[in-house]
Amino acid sequence: MTVRPASQVVPVAQRAALILRELARIVVGKDDTLRLALTCMIARGHLLIEDIPGVGKSTLAQALATVLGLGHARIQFTSDLLPADVLGVSIYDERAGGFRFHAGPIFHPVVLADEINRAPPKTQSALLEAMEERQVSIDGQTRKLPDPFFVIATQNPVEQIGAYPLPESQLDRFLMALELGYPDASAERELLAGGDRRARIAELPALADAPTLVEWQREAAALHVAPALLDYVQALLAASRGHASGPGTADAGARRGLSPRAGLMLLNAARAWALVGGRPMVLPEDVQAVFGAVASHRLAGGARAGALLAHSLLRSVPLP
Amino acid sequence: MRPAARRGRRRARTSSPPLSATQIRWLGALLVCAQLPQAPHLPLWVAAFGLLLVGLRLALLRRDRARPDAPPARIPSWTLVLFAIAAALAVRASYGYLLGRDPSVAFLYILVGIKFLETRTVRDGSLLVALASFLLVTPFFTSQSPLSALAVLPALLVLGATLDVLARPPGHASERRPPQALARAGALVLQGIPIAALLFVLFPRIGAPLWGVPGETGAQTGLSDTMAPGTISELSLSDAVAFRVDFDAPPPPPVQRYWRGPVLSRFDGQAWSLMPRPGTGNLTPWSAGGVSYEVTLEPHGKPWLFALDLPASLPRPAGDDAPASADAGFAFLARDQQLIARTPVTQVIRYAQRSMLRDAYPQADAEEAREYLRLPLRGNPRTTEFARELRARHAGDRELVGAILAWFRAEAFVYTLTPPLLDRDPVDAFLFDTRRGFCEHYASAFVVMMRAAGIPARVVTGYQGGEVNPRGGYLIVRQSDAHAWAEVIVDGAWQRVDPTGAVAPSRIEIGLSQAVAAGEPVPLFARLDAGWIKNVQLAFDALNHEWRRNVVGFNRDRQRELWRDLSIDRYAGWQIAALAGALALAWAGVTLALAGFAQARRERAQALWGEACLRLERAGLPRMPHEGPIAYAARASRRWPQFAIAFSAIAESYAALHYGPPPARPGEHEALVATLARAVDVLPGAAQLRATAA
Repeated sequence: MTVRPASQVVPVAQRAALILRELARIVVGKDDTLRLALTCMIARGHLLIEDIPGVGKSTLAQALATVLGLGHARIQFTSDLLPADVLGVSIYDERAGGFRFHAGPIFHPVVLADEINRAPPKTQSALLEAMEERQVSIDGQTRKLPDPFFVIATQNPVEQIGAYPLPESQLDRFLMALELGYPDASAERELLAGGDRRARIAELPALADAPTLVEWQREAAALHVAPALLDYVQALLAASRGHASGPGTADAGARRGLSPRAGLMLLNAARAWALVGGRPMVLPEDVQAVFGAVASHRLAGGARAGALLAHSLLRSVPLP
Repeated sequence: MRPAARRGRRRARTSSPPLSATQIRWLGALLVCAQLPQAPHLPLWVAAFGLLLVGLRLALLRRDRARPDAPPARIPSWTLVLFAIAAALAVRASYGYLLGRDPSVAFLYILVGIKFLETRTVRDGSLLVALASFLLVTPFFTSQSPLSALAVLPALLVLGATLDVLARPPGHASERRPPQALARAGALVLQGIPIAALLFVLFPRIGAPLWGVPGETGAQTGLSDTMAPGTISELSLSDAVAFRVDFDAPPPPPVQRYWRGPVLSRFDGQAWSLMPRPGTGNLTPWSAGGVSYEVTLEPHGKPWLFALDLPASLPRPAGDDAPASADAGFAFLARDQQLIARTPVTQVIRYAQRSMLRDAYPQADAEEAREYLRLPLRGNPRTTEFARELRARHAGDRELVGAILAWFRAEAFVYTLTPPLLDRDPVDAFLFDTRRGFCEHYASAFVVMMRAAGIPARVVTGYQGGEVNPRGGYLIVRQSDAHAWAEVIVDGAWQRVDPTGAVAPSRIEIGLSQAVAAGEPVPLFARLDAGWIKNVQLAFDALNHEWRRNVVGFNRDRQRELWRDLSIDRYAGWQIAALAGALALAWAGVTLALAGFAQARRERAQALWGEACLRLERAGLPRMPHEGPIAYAARASRRWPQFAIAFSAIAESYAALHYGPPPARPGEHEALVATLARAVDVLPGAAQLRATAA
């Protein structure tokens, strides 16, 4: 797979625009978030949504899975959830006279892990390791997860009593962290006026399938990145670590900067964003568009503070 | 000591970054490529051992990668030192000595493998590349043929690629595919060729090598200064080329091609040897019917030069115009008409030579005749008896010579490469018992008989015949053409007599392969019926000859010759050196200018973009430092919607130039720059923009 000619990038963008239009009819008024969610998927990353219940996280996951023609499952994390409930379990089958594996909900292309911070760390890490390695080992046997494989996890920031917040190192496994937030007035009006969103998901057309998505992922990974853009990404990383000496450098960034892996993920996300936007190359605008979502949960002090820091970083680093 | 502390100390000692697995593999490939051309010249155990060491390092690397958690395999340095000492002792045992060219090369060959075993940092790697390039030179000690040059080419490419891979950060190196690195190295080599060719032709050559490489005695084949039964027949088994000759006119017929070499006058009953005599001989006067030619002589470690019987000039190094005088020049003519160089021939030399095709020349002084009558007091009684008998029957010297030749023809003598062994009284045994012999037997027996009969005689060795290569039209004289004949004083003149011609006329008229019986071990290329193999070999020899003349033999004289052809010879050496330097600089300049041109194109895009930004800034809409081109154009379009198309064209083309992939088609880049320039042109000035906004 080498550099793709521009002519092949545009059809992806057209299909992506169609997909986003369909999604926007279900999740109203969240165009940027939808676009980032799709980008995250094309960049082979996982998505973390930190938000209160009832803003449409499940709806988003279901709609995304349906419109892309992928199967999906939802796991409600609770304090008594065990790893086997996520991964699956081998049960003795009397008729067959042996153990038979019952695949857990994780063997779906799109998995919605609801309120992940309610489950004990053991169960959390079972899910997170599966996300990282894209395979699970059960009873000494390694089983591949479907490809594409995409996890949308949600975390409730308000009710932290009796919850196990994800440690920062685990947060790193999510490519993006987003907040859905309340809909604005007109969008909320439309929501209230329209019928049940869940019912409308079933009517969504499937505009892609698993092989198509894998193909897009490959195209995104092959998108051209110029040296000038690498300079810019490096400048951003350096500034996040407090290295940059330019005016307005956020000193707070020195506490916990972006890792080289975060830099790679930033580039992957920017590539996918450019592909969705129909460009055969990655521009600083693409990096800036995904920077908040990719960087905020990796920077110091939780998503909210991280988002502010990411924003100030972007404004402080000039294009080289 | 705890592992962490040890690692810390190691890092403190070597600040150079460690080699990646890919870099180590590249180094291994380079070493193998550098070792292979030298391997055939080495004893088998050295060749195999050196390669084994490189293989061992790669095997260790494999083990390390298979077990990433285990500490990397390390062979302690003191072990390697012991190893090196053991290798030196083994080489000494194998060669019998250590301080010489060949054992040193063998030691270096093993040493690079040992060094590779302890190579861990990039700095070690660079040192190894230097060692490998030195090893690459060593095959040329033994052979400077085009094939040897070809054999080091792959290593040169791998060397370039290895330097390329070493110069890059390890992560990058592993991403790099071997063909790409090789292609880059190939491109660099191709770019270097014009400079190398220019310097090759124009950089003034020094007359003698700066330093001498001690030659290995006994390694070269050729005629020696003694001749015992078996000397020349042994030589006849060799396919090696003795020399090649370019004639100014068509070559003379084979019968006249007697290439005179060492003249042997002293006989001890078994072997013939040189009898050095002071003074120089007289050249045969040059006249019509003479031949002039140019000899390219392979090194043979002895001072003899070869010329057709009889030399009419002193050899003149090719390209040298000055007439050679008897006492100057690089060779002289001995009293026995033998051309002798002042130093042994240890490298390929070319000289122009003229000869008169005569088989007799006047005896210089009567005194010398007695020297050529000496025979050992004892030995070969039957021959002496037989010669005296013949003498009594034939009064005239000429008749006697004729009678002996007739006797050779009449009796059942066999010309063969595999004569029986003769120990006591070899001439007697040969003439009356075995009657099977090679040219040295006939020449030796003939001269002994002549001396016994009172006629001064001596043995002349050299080459006879040679093969004309239809490709190139030059003559190839091989060791298998080595020959011995006789010279006798008849009627006051030295007269050539070839007894072999009496026994086996076809040896003289056609060549060795026709003269001996089928099934004798005649070397392949001395046979005339070898078919296509022979053709291929002749074509290859033609190439080899050109190579010898124009590349290896490109010495100071050849260079002068070429300069004369290019008519730049009227300048002094330093002027030509300056010219070569200037041309090389010019070439480097062109290369840099091309790179600079590409740079300038990039800078033009940057300049146009800067101009557009400046104009918008003056119009009151400065670009924010972090703002990308598309975002800025969008903001500008909101302020001045009527120029939205121009803004978008500027931003799109600049973004494609600055952040886009390298142009897929030629001209794409220029088209983008043109679009950018036009769009900037369309944009009105700052003042006008301000006015429109207001």
